Amino acid sequence: MSAETQPTQPAAGAPDSGAERAALDRKTRRAFQVLIVQRGRNPGVKGWEMRRYLGKDYKAILEVLSDDLKPLGLEVHTVPGPEGTDDSTRFLLRFRDPPTLPEAETAGFRIDDLAVLAASIALVNSKQGRISRKELETFLKGKFPRWRIDYSIDRYIKRGYLDVDDKELIRIGWRTRAEIDERSLMTMILAQGTKTDSKK
Amino acid sequence: MPAQEDDKRLEDILRLIELCRNIQSSSVNPFEVDIREKLLVLKRHLPEWDAIDVMLKDSEAMTQLVAIVKLQDQWIKHRASALYIDPLLLELKIQLITREELAECFAKCWHPIAQVDQLTPKGLEKAFVYWRELVPFADRHRDEFTVGEGAGIIGLEELESLSIFTKEEFETRLNAITKELVEKTSGKEIDYRGFIQGKDPEETALRGYLVAFVVTDGRASIRVDPLTEQIFISMIQGKPDDETKSVAIVVR
Repeated sequence: MSAETQPTQPAAGAPDSGAERAALDRKTRRAFQVLIVQRGRNPGVKGWEMRRYLGKDYKAILEVLSDDLKPLGLEVHTVPGPEGTDDSTRFLLRFRDPPTLPEAETAGFRIDDLAVLAASIALVNSKQGRISRKELETFLKGKFPRWRIDYSIDRYIKRGYLDVDDKELIRIGWRTRAEIDERSLMTMILAQGTKTDSKK
Repeated sequence: MPAQEDDKRLEDILRLIELCRNIQSSSVNPFEVDIREKLLVLKRHLPEWDAIDVMLKDSEAMTQLVAIVKLQDQWIKHRASALYIDPLLLELKIQLITREELAECFAKCWHPIAQVDQLTPKGLEKAFVYWRELVPFADRHRDEFTVGEGAGIIGLEELESLSIFTKEEFETRLNAITKELVEKTSGKEIDYRGFIQGKDPEETALRGYLVAFVVTDGRASIRVDPLTEQIFISMIQGKPDDETKSVAIVVR
């Protein structure tokens, strides 16, 4: 964190320390409000918008906010944009710790739905990040009923977990990048299989 | 011979474009395309092209090769990243573990987005304007689903008023078709559809319309074979039968 964004420990005798603290509090509150209320179709706020709302030190303010949100189990997450620039980077609030399976179910996801999504993400990633819909469906057909596959793939494309490019290939969607630790998912699927094998 | 050679060269280019497109629209390894070899083919043929269309194909092939090189770059980056796992191994693992275990793996890596869907005064105003200007449901798709009035009955008077028929013309045509029917049936049943068949759908409809009058007058009779659903028409000898009923026939 830069020195100018640490007004909580000002130089001794600094006359404006209270004002700086108040300004930081105000900006942190503003950052929270901007992030929590959905604007437009997709959640999150882009870097250029954040700079407009909070000033050029917005990254440091978001770090402070992320720390402040720790007791509530939330964090500010950064999703790099397609251009890789600060302006295109998307910031959003998300759960710091993953929910339990029963909690996930209360959010409207059935176990089978989550399993389809997990398998789809893992397979797309293993196939260089793109796979034809037919290939994905053929693979999932070995584990899930046909009607659920069609329904789930369409639903996840709509929600942004999966994406379809101009060549009609399925890709990983923006929401997966924002919400899911893909690397851990791949590792856990492989480890889970090993545990199942060892139990047998 | 030179024309055949030209065709062969053009075929090479078209095959190359198709190959590149197939690679791009599937998850096949892009290194299956030997870029160097394909470039040499293009280079060899380039001085021989003289038609602009072929030159355009050549440049399209070049563009497709560039796209494949881009895919190869992405492929290497992905393979070098931590996300790369042998697809076969992963497919096998996914088939082995249960759905519950898969869902649990997902839940452990999932950090749902926290957000509030809040109705703002501006949003409320937009909703109000939308609701106010919304066309009632009954009127909404009227233009899309109805073309004018629905199917109905059109009488002779109406046809006369529309100048489709004059009374004299109608009588003449009715007499003509009755005479034709008498000649063709000559005391036997004949196929109704065959009889009304005209040279175009309009004439068929017109003949069907006129025959309906002959039948209604009691001068002809229509019989439908219940097994084959074939329709027969015959002239009635003597007085018309009292036991008549209406039959609806679709004329195509």
